Amino acid sequence: MKSGHDIVMSMKRQVSLTANPIDEPALLAGRTMTSGMGAAVYFSGVVRGSEAGQSIRAIEYEGFEAMVTRQFELIFTEIETKWPIESIRLVHRLGVVPVNEASLWVEVIAPHRGEAFAACQHLIDEMKRVVPIWKKPLS
Amino acid sequence: MNADMNIRISFYSYFKELAGVATTTEAVAEGGTLGGLFDRLAVQYPKLEPMRKSTLMAVGVEYQSRDYVLKDGDEVSLFPPVQGG
Repeated sequence: MKSGHDIVMSMKRQVSLTANPIDEPALLAGRTMTSGMGAAVYFSGVVRGSEAGQSIRAIEYEGFEAMVTRQFELIFTEIETKWPIESIRLVHRLGVVPVNEASLWVEVIAPHRGEAFAACQHLIDEMKRVVPIWKKPLS
Repeated sequence: MNADMNIRISFYSYFKELAGVATTTEAVAEGGTLGGLFDRLAVQYPKLEPMRKSTLMAVGVEYQSRDYVLKDGDEVSLFPPVQGG
């Protein structure tokens, strides 16, 4: 009997850095899953109206773009060795993102929810540790 | 022969404000390390000195440790802890 690992040939990876609002309906409409996949987890990170107790109107994100892409690739490669993920799509906004708008959108597709949730959590944890993006609150 | 190497340095996030510049170039003697380069930059831009422990350093698009030996043409980046998401 084949395990979930055997049916996943190579993980689809997609990273977009954009100055534009994240178009979630378009991203969801673009979802593709093969018949062996049973879990699609997605996460949207949204700018809160306060930072360190201070009211803010937006966050300005700055990224070292070439290194952002490279560091996400390294994280994806690590994820691929840990879980049988079919696809990861990630969008991160750069520039000014107003309160209540998404700065991050991530989708992970896997055979089962356990690995999809775990991989998504790991991806975001690692992003916050190594991916060179910085934020500046704007009041 | 012990010619100096030209190393281009970029600062990101609030390190640009601390240094007062976004980029600079340093002539580094052969065998010079990333740690040695930080020491020089901390003298040149004293506001970087308190950031010594938390500073992240990369060569090209890869993180490197302080004992990395620089090569001519290396592009070095210095920045504070990252905060994506």
